[in-house]
Amino acid sequence: MILQIVAAMAGTVAFSLLFGVPRKYYPWCGVIGGAGWAVYVPASHHWSAYAASFAATVVVIFLSRAAAVRNRCPSTIFLISGIFPIVPGAGIYWTVYYLVTEQLRQAVYTGYEAVKAAVAIVLGIVFVFELPQGIFRWAVKRKKAVKEP
Amino acid sequence: MEEEGKVEEKKEKEVMEVSLQAGHLLLENGAEISRVEETMERIRTHYGVCSGSAFVLSNGIFTTVGGGNESFFAKVEHIPVSGTHLDRVAAVNQLSREIEEGKYTVQEVARRLEEIKDMPGKTKLMQVLASGCGSAAFCCLFGGTAADSAVAFGAGVALYLYVLFVSGPHFSKIVANIGGGALVTILCSTMYGWGAGQHLNDMVIGSIMPLIPGVAFTNAIRDIANGDYISGFVRMLDALLIFFSIAIGMGVGFSVHGWLAGGIPL
Repeated sequence: MILQIVAAMAGTVAFSLLFGVPRKYYPWCGVIGGAGWAVYVPASHHWSAYAASFAATVVVIFLSRAAAVRNRCPSTIFLISGIFPIVPGAGIYWTVYYLVTEQLRQAVYTGYEAVKAAVAIVLGIVFVFELPQGIFRWAVKRKKAVKEP
Repeated sequence: MEEEGKVEEKKEKEVMEVSLQAGHLLLENGAEISRVEETMERIRTHYGVCSGSAFVLSNGIFTTVGGGNESFFAKVEHIPVSGTHLDRVAAVNQLSREIEEGKYTVQEVARRLEEIKDMPGKTKLMQVLASGCGSAAFCCLFGGTAADSAVAFGAGVALYLYVLFVSGPHFSKIVANIGGGALVTILCSTMYGWGAGQHLNDMVIGSIMPLIPGVAFTNAIRDIANGDYISGFVRMLDALLIFFSIAIGMGVGFSVHGWLAGGIPL
């Protein structure tokens, strides 16, 4: 579990490098990606895969927005790489595998599961972006709060 | 009086050019539509051009100014999607904040934008290594062992070399991703056949990750949620196309490997 979270952090940082995230934000990206996975694994033990995807997405987007407010930069920077561990890459793989090996029933089932997980991610993104910006005021750096009485 | 009109006209043109350039940089490097529109508007209004407006699509910006006592200016710019450089998005964002604080003249903004445009990206070596590390990490994440991760690292490196030197400059998106999916699958299956790694599935899933269109997908959702349906659907189509191409590529990879090795080895 710990190893997996570390792997999620490493993977997220590697991908943020691919997307050209400024170097000073790598730690943030890593923590956000790790947090998403840290929520996903226990959640997927208790709930279905798509509920877990939803919960993990909500956490990732929420933290991304908070980090964006804190660092005064676009939230895209954090969320694009942070969302990667949750993307149903495994779902695509198994769907194709079952298709190629002519196990159509399994293929349809896993494909359907992957689509459900993707929809859960979409809903997570949409809902958390509806939250008003004011919620994230706690994340603002102290210095700025002094400047704006 | 006429002299003053000329100066005004020149200034409006400069402001519009600058705002267009800022929008161009944002759109090209993976920002959402609403951010592009907002930034362009901020720059215009800060420099006192009130009649301007911009229409932003996923691959183009149309902008005009004119009417009242402002002179007319219109420009259309086609912006092909070239790849994601979020550092440039962040830099333009920072610049637009600083403009609002009144730190720059229009000429200075133009110069800063040129600098941002020429910001060095990550070197190819770094990208290739990052792809390898990412693949290995995701392989481990999905339950692969250390040996699996090592194979995934190799496949991730090979995949990104292919992306940078073969598919990027020469192929269309569909062919590029089918090729990438097939390459990874064949590579991993072959290594697996030679006895490297224990879980073929984790290796393939991990090393396919650098191809997954995460930027297109997330931006598509955000654009649609913001009501920018045209751009949102274009980007969603882009993401789905890549997903399907990867899937087809993996299918092709399995089939080719199965055909070479006689039966699918799983």
